[in-house]
Amino acid sequence: MEYALRMCAITKHFPRVIANDKVDLTLRKGEILALVGENGAGKSTLMNILYGLHTPDSGEIYIHGKKMNYQTTLGAIEQGVGMVHQHFMLIPRLSIVENVVLGNEPGSALRFHRARAKKEVSPFLEQFKLEVSLDTPVQDLSMGMQQKVEIIKVLYRKANILILDEPTAVLTPQEIDELGVILASLKKQGMSIIIITHKLQEVIDFSDRITVMRRGVHIGTVETAGTDVNEIVGMMVGRNVNLGQYDIKGVPDKDVLLSVKDLSYRAGERFILKDINLEVHKGEILGIAGIDGSGQDELTEIINGTIKPTQGEILFADNNVTHRNPLQRRRSGMGFIPQDRLKHGLVSDFSIEENLTLGFERKREYNRKGFINKKNRKALAKAAIARFDIRTTGEEVLAGTLSGGNQQKVIVAREMGARPRIIVANQPTRGVDIGAIAFIHQTLIGLRNEGGGVLLASLELDELMSLSDRIAVMYKGRLMGTLAGRDATREKLGYMMVGRMNDNVHNGENLQTEKGARHEKE
Amino acid sequence: MKKNRFAAVLSPICMLLFSFLLAGLLILALGKSPLVAYGALFQGAFGSSTAWINTINKAVPICLAAFAVGICSKVGVFNIGVEGQLLFGALGSALAGIYITGLPAFLHIPLCISAGMLSGALWALIPTVLYIKRDANIIVSNILFNLVAKLVLIALVLGPFRGDNAMVPGTNRIQETAALPILVGGSAKLSSAVLLMLGVAILLYIYLNHTTNGFELRAVGLNHHAASYAGIPSKKYVFFALLAGGMLAGMIGAMEVQGTYLMLYNDFSPGYGFDGIPIALLAQGNPLVSIVGGLLFGGLRSGSQFMQIAVGVDKEIITVIQGLLVICIAAEPIFRRGINLAGRWLDRRIVAWKQ
Repeated sequence: MEYALRMCAITKHFPRVIANDKVDLTLRKGEILALVGENGAGKSTLMNILYGLHTPDSGEIYIHGKKMNYQTTLGAIEQGVGMVHQHFMLIPRLSIVENVVLGNEPGSALRFHRARAKKEVSPFLEQFKLEVSLDTPVQDLSMGMQQKVEIIKVLYRKANILILDEPTAVLTPQEIDELGVILASLKKQGMSIIIITHKLQEVIDFSDRITVMRRGVHIGTVETAGTDVNEIVGMMVGRNVNLGQYDIKGVPDKDVLLSVKDLSYRAGERFILKDINLEVHKGEILGIAGIDGSGQDELTEIINGTIKPTQGEILFADNNVTHRNPLQRRRSGMGFIPQDRLKHGLVSDFSIEENLTLGFERKREYNRKGFINKKNRKALAKAAIARFDIRTTGEEVLAGTLSGGNQQKVIVAREMGARPRIIVANQPTRGVDIGAIAFIHQTLIGLRNEGGGVLLASLELDELMSLSDRIAVMYKGRLMGTLAGRDATREKLGYMMVGRMNDNVHNGENLQTEKGARHEKE
Repeated sequence: MKKNRFAAVLSPICMLLFSFLLAGLLILALGKSPLVAYGALFQGAFGSSTAWINTINKAVPICLAAFAVGICSKVGVFNIGVEGQLLFGALGSALAGIYITGLPAFLHIPLCISAGMLSGALWALIPTVLYIKRDANIIVSNILFNLVAKLVLIALVLGPFRGDNAMVPGTNRIQETAALPILVGGSAKLSSAVLLMLGVAILLYIYLNHTTNGFELRAVGLNHHAASYAGIPSKKYVFFALLAGGMLAGMIGAMEVQGTYLMLYNDFSPGYGFDGIPIALLAQGNPLVSIVGGLLFGGLRSGSQFMQIAVGVDKEIITVIQGLLVICIAAEPIFRRGINLAGRWLDRRIVAWKQ
């Protein structure tokens, strides 16, 4: 068997953690290997070592059988290793061709040979079915197209080992399918590809083999053909977790808990949100689907009260809360799980204990005549850490040092601790490990079953479909329609997420899939 | 956790040693012995009770400046305007001290201090409002305001408020009733300003660490997005902290006028407002830790004169030391990394030795 890459006994220490502990990884020539594991399993560290961003403490790397000892990314690129990062490294104002050749421009130091650059780059565009001009600024491209530009960038540098970090996080279902086709064709050309991911369905669809890591250790590598999602999840978390099967009991109440009426939000001349009408009933989880940047973030922030709508109003439990500040909204029984936990959810230089009171510090339990009731605060923090299974060595640990899943549990613990009647959550499980995802899902369902409401915006269709009673779909700041949770399929949602509204879509009604499918073929 | 705290204590010490070492090379280049010079510096700063008194008197304004910078750094704003604010504070306190007459001391003293603090806050008001409402760069506007304050003070002290003694570039003396009591008399007088400074430090410490308001203020400084999202009024806290910084700076002026000079010179501050900056940064805004730094800087200032007389090394060498220290603070990650590396090496040694 010919290996494009062998990494042997790679060990990397960071202060206080072993990110990689004697990790072995092999990549055959012309195969797609999926590297999976929970957050903090050490996948990214391993790939950063391969790409020359980190130097391993010990261990060896062989590329095409030759021992490597490069210590920079430049060295890695020279050896044919290319990486597409999760957050694209493109310069928005520059054109496609400029982005691709950047750093390797043909011509002399003084003159950029633009014509030659175009000649060299254009075959890639055909291969990738990118039907745009080479001179298009990258900022005008969709995320899927930008990703293709990133891959072209790597190919232009003559890479034969391609690393993709979470390549599907920003893509619509249709774009994900397209990516699959591209990867298959690259494979045929002899490229060896590593995909870092924690979306398991993609792993099964794309890969030839799967390598699982957990807590910095290589757990095992299996042939994709001979495995299933449950086995991989078992390897990832070390226990069997049943993902996607939740007991949703009872039916939503007729009473409306939260309603958003004719809501619009404008930034300058541009409408970020336009004429949004939504209702969350008691005992209901309303899902909000949409590709990233469709207005979900602004919608949840308006409901929180951090930004003011240009038009429209928000009613909560029959009270108009449009002009109330976030504090008043929280006091009246609203809880919030923000999309960006490190920006909006936590103060990372505060301890867990302090973060558990953030926004509630004036409540009677925590505040005694203007002074912090530290004794009580500590006791309540200890209780919350136990109840919400926050994995830490103590309540005085800084929140910033926790793993993503545990940070998210701190936020959930804080918001649930106030016994809210509704939770407004935006991507509550983004970048969170599977154990924490299950826990957060159970918490949301628990609130729903007790008659509370949940507004859940998410980019993960599986999450929405397994939790929601109804799913509203947003596209470019507008509401495309609402589906009943049990009727929603990936295809229907994906179709609406790219803005193709069907005449037959109304609140709660079905989308005609046959018609949709025909459109897609055309 | 413990290791981090260890590094947090060790790295300022390393910075100090490094600065003294480099300045020592300079002294060597000047043809003097650094050891002798530093010995004299220490002697002049802490060698006798008189030296201690001088050091403490110099430390008081520096500590207050560190508090003024520190409270602003707690909301994430770099307050470089302390110098201008303290000049205005001195003006306010001096005017109240000179022109208000007939009050008993127990009223006149707090009145003058309040006038000083209020003037400092007023001088901070314009840059603060511009920063909060219009997002004007507060560093630039504060630097400009420092210059304006200095010139305005010269104009006023040498103009309308010029004292009767034409030989002195300053105002008349303040009333007896406005002068701070003296704790220890003699050739060097210890002013009771030090007690006020300690009181402020303790109050500030309690406010920041034990009150709900202080908690919210720190949350705003560490992550104003999260604070706003949680419903904490971020801008109000920034406004409050910047004006509090102005008040503390104004208090410096009042202490100098009422405790040290008993009048207002046009040029009384040798840059106390700037001395506070490195201290506050090293102490991360903690007022109690700032006092240690203030004593050190005060000692440098008071000891340097003795060093100049006794050894003949120019007293400006301490400006070099302070400057080096500022550079070290800017390069703090390098120091921390060095300490971490050294710590790991030591760990390995100890393990090897045990085996």
